[in-house]
Amino acid sequence: MAQGKIKTRVVGVDIGLERTTTAVVDIRGNILGKDDFPTSDYPNISDFASVLCDNIITLVQAHGGYETIRAVGISVPSGNYRTGCVVNSPNMPWKGVVPMAAMLRDRIGLAVSLGNNAHVRALGEQTYGAAHGLKDFILITLGTGMGSCLVSNGVPHLGQDGFAGEIGHCCAVPGGRQCGCGKKGCLEMYTSKKGIVMTAQELLADSDAPSLMREVDTLTLSYMIDCCEKGDEMAIEVFNRTGKTLGLALANYASVFNPEAFVFTGSVMCAGEWLLKPTEETFQEHVFRNIAGRVKFLSSELEKEEMDLLGASALAWEVEEYSLFK
Amino acid sequence: MEDETKSRVVGVDISKELTTYAIVDIRGNIIAENRFVTTDYPDINDFVTKLSESIVMLVEENGGLFSIRSIGVSSPSGNFLTGSVVNSPNLPWKGDIPLAAMLRDRMGLAVGVANDAHVAALGEHTYGSAHGMKDFIVVTLGSGLGSCFFSNGSEHRGFSGFAGEVGHTCVIDHGRRCGCGKEGCLEAYAAAQGIVKTAEELMAESDKPSLMRQVEHLTPRAIAELCQQGDEMAIEVYRRTGYILGIGLANYASIVNPQAIILAGGISHAGHWLTDPVRESFETHVFQNLRGKVKLLVSKLNDRERDVLGASALAWEIPEYSLFK
Repeated sequence: MAQGKIKTRVVGVDIGLERTTTAVVDIRGNILGKDDFPTSDYPNISDFASVLCDNIITLVQAHGGYETIRAVGISVPSGNYRTGCVVNSPNMPWKGVVPMAAMLRDRIGLAVSLGNNAHVRALGEQTYGAAHGLKDFILITLGTGMGSCLVSNGVPHLGQDGFAGEIGHCCAVPGGRQCGCGKKGCLEMYTSKKGIVMTAQELLADSDAPSLMREVDTLTLSYMIDCCEKGDEMAIEVFNRTGKTLGLALANYASVFNPEAFVFTGSVMCAGEWLLKPTEETFQEHVFRNIAGRVKFLSSELEKEEMDLLGASALAWEVEEYSLFK
Repeated sequence: MEDETKSRVVGVDISKELTTYAIVDIRGNIIAENRFVTTDYPDINDFVTKLSESIVMLVEENGGLFSIRSIGVSSPSGNFLTGSVVNSPNLPWKGDIPLAAMLRDRMGLAVGVANDAHVAALGEHTYGSAHGMKDFIVVTLGSGLGSCFFSNGSEHRGFSGFAGEVGHTCVIDHGRRCGCGKEGCLEAYAAAQGIVKTAEELMAESDKPSLMRQVEHLTPRAIAELCQQGDEMAIEVYRRTGYILGIGLANYASIVNPQAIILAGGISHAGHWLTDPVRESFETHVFQNLRGKVKLLVSKLNDRERDVLGASALAWEIPEYSLFK
């Protein structure tokens, strides 16, 4: 009998709005090779799948060959692990239900698994990052949108249809700001990048008080953080308000799920203490008293570029091996 | 020698007024049952003594101690991970009570303790509406509002065993004061006292006639009966309650993506007066991919039976233990 050979590498893929990154990752999370191409060049999903497949083949041939690869894991917005589909993504060029995992598996002949970025990052943090060793924690993504993944007893909770974790579309303000999802007052309309900018614009319109924020045409998050550093009171107030809304929502989340920690990821987290301090104050005020003071606030320490690739590689280990040739 | 399998457990339901205990077999048949008044024993030591004596008597009359595998206890504020009853606002015993350890030492049998929502969920999963479901939420609506959610076929307990406190999530910033010390908790609107409070507010807001004005001690049940008689203000009470509860459940479901939400407990008997507005508000506020997909069910088990059956299911979850081995 031939001795079974163990494959020690996987491919992690991160599909972002602008760029798609691919990487060969070994068992310990070392990235052996990396490549990328612009996502938006391929508005047709079949073209995209073919280009992605070619890109992966070229990459793995340059780093140890196709036979060393166990599986492929993909991080994609609106990805559903249970079905392997990208479902009704508001931001991606492909509409409706796209069976991305099946399309890629048929082209590449390897097992392919797919998850949304919150799910994938939770796996990444659990395997290689801040959540290592935690059994009950909540991963939060705060960027263009807001998502989360609840890990229960060491396993990500995906829900009946794989849509669990949509904290961004919980109602934070009944009858509040109109959200792209069709509802009103969704949390992400207050805490994501665009939500924070909207709060700033509202504050600017409400009064005539001087503020550095009035000096630019298009407000960005990083500019507002600069304003905070320079002591601009109105900019600081923007983050105070954001923190209050966020802190209340996280307190409710924690009261229901009693996590050991929150792990924060995403571009909004560059606001650091300006956001986290008011968030934590409101959180402690509103959380169920038996767990007040017992929930850790952790920030991801993984590199921004690596976070999703490592998570996608961890996801690749979750699926059964599959080969066209066996 | 062949090892004997024990096919019976004891389920205990401690509630504010009564403590019910029963012998239950593997299929959920209640072999024998009895109860005593909880409030007669304000000292926890007296209570545990009374409870263990009662159980021993019941067991001796029905097959003997050796037929019993273990004991499951449902108690408000019970924590499964520690076996303690922690800071209960409603029970006479204050602080952190190691109930499981106390009872085990007296009985010589393994004892599991959990809160009523956790136990209700186990009961529904083993013998009720949630049979065969893997991801679902059970919400208990009574004098308090609790919940338990199942992830992948087993209950989510949380890091320190306190998960499920949806009653103490804030629905109205700086709203009504809650017994827990916070403001605007869901429980202050959707549990028994909250519903009565809503009725009082409605009566104070206007001069409109309502049969509720003639009731001396309003209860959620009395209000539901007035709904049946067509009293508009009573219907409005449940409409407002359902609206707020619907938002709370929609937020819960958006995060959990459950197959079903099962409502249990006294308030759920208000029937469609409550569930219609809950469903309407729920569908408005839930994440779009879930719209129309989550079943809203009302428990079909009898309230008292569910807690005893759930406690018996809990008893099967813990490893066997005996003083005599």
